[in-house]
Amino acid sequence: MNENDILLEIRGLHASIGGREILKGIDMVIRKGEVHAVMGPNGAGKSTLSAVLVGRPDYVVTAGTVTFLGQDLLALSPEERSWAGIFLSFQYPIEIPGVSITNFMKAAINARRKAQGLDELSPSAFIKLMKEKMALVQMKGEFAKREVNVGFSGGEKKRNEIFQMAMLDPTLSILDETDSGLDVDALRIVAEGVNALRSPEKGAIVITHYQRLLEYIVPDVVHVLKDGRIVETGGRELVDFIDRNGYDGFKA
Amino acid sequence: MKEKIIDRGHYVEVPVPAGATLVPAGQRLAVCGPLSGSCAYALEAGASLDLCLLAFPGESAGTELTVDLLGEGAEASLSGLYVCREGEYSLKVTVRHRVGGCVSNQLFNGIVAGSARSAFDGRIIVAPDAQKTKAYQTNHNLLLGLEARAETRPQLEIYADDVECSHGATVGRLDEAGQFYMQSRGITEKEARVLQMISFLSPVLEHVPEGRREEVAARIEQTVRSL
Repeated sequence: MNENDILLEIRGLHASIGGREILKGIDMVIRKGEVHAVMGPNGAGKSTLSAVLVGRPDYVVTAGTVTFLGQDLLALSPEERSWAGIFLSFQYPIEIPGVSITNFMKAAINARRKAQGLDELSPSAFIKLMKEKMALVQMKGEFAKREVNVGFSGGEKKRNEIFQMAMLDPTLSILDETDSGLDVDALRIVAEGVNALRSPEKGAIVITHYQRLLEYIVPDVVHVLKDGRIVETGGRELVDFIDRNGYDGFKA
Repeated sequence: MKEKIIDRGHYVEVPVPAGATLVPAGQRLAVCGPLSGSCAYALEAGASLDLCLLAFPGESAGTELTVDLLGEGAEASLSGLYVCREGEYSLKVTVRHRVGGCVSNQLFNGIVAGSARSAFDGRIIVAPDAQKTKAYQTNHNLLLGLEARAETRPQLEIYADDVECSHGATVGRLDEAGQFYMQSRGITEKEARVLQMISFLSPVLEHVPEGRREEVAARIEQTVRSL
């Protein structure tokens, strides 16, 4: 292992919202190829951690550093973080009436290409990419024309998140409670989509309350987050321990 | 919301405006454009009017629209968008249900930017005995910048007791959650604003005749990009 393997390094991260401190000193190192699970009870700060990593404006980082592939992540705007290769699958995806999935993804892909000094993707290359990634999450042709998340079922919204993730091909994917509200079939489709995107160069953070999703997406490292701190870090055996014993035994 | 108000005492019959365009029984009229100034339509039994007002910046200072539903089964679909960059824009809509069994639907969305001011004044009047009336009205306003002002005055005057009427009016700003969602996908702040404005006006676009929709969509995009 060397420095070049490090994808994301979080050091002493404190963050608050509305003056209330939620994260109270987080340390975490994610190496290339690793999937980390962040588990914890409600209110532990799991979603705050994901929000801070993607730069949600209502959260304030009060101390600590986050380095992504050697650059200071906290200095970047949300769109710059996306261009750098970070993606968040939202727990509650937002509806955008009147904007089709096609136009939404075209805007996203071409904004990044523009930032990278590339020409817009040709219409045929774009359509090919859309079809390929839609197949990954078992979305049918009409999906491309639908308005973003409007009238989507819970499962469709999460599949749409994974579809967008596949389209943007991030280096670090963060899945925030992607399993909440999913039936077994939808869960399997989502997990297969995520697993297909695993690679030795990439990493993922899977945030979840339950062990269910982790039966399908097997993590390399498991963290237990409680009251804004990581109280335990271990291997996948930690998932079974939590399944049997809950979170009460962990001291914050 | 279901309105149930009976008050014959305050009902005043006013004549159909002299220059009103008559839509004869069973006929359909479609109108789409800036419709600046005073416009009046009168619909006979079973007639329908599909009106879509498009007020892009600098094209219109305002519209005063009057629709009289004269015969049973008449239907008026009134929609429109206004985008204001400076100065004042006023839209006054009066829909009179003179007989029962008619339907009117209003949907007007406006974007008000810069130092502009907009005023929407919408009245639905349901005459006594105009039972089984269905009348709906919506006016949403999106404010850009701290100096922009939008005023909206939805009014229902209902003198019949068996009707279905509703109105809804909002004045708001760009949705921060939507803005962030788009930025998290790499869409720049400016582009995300453009998409949100297109999204905001899209319900009106659906009322533009199909043959003109593409052209109007392009016009909308070009306009909101300049805000």
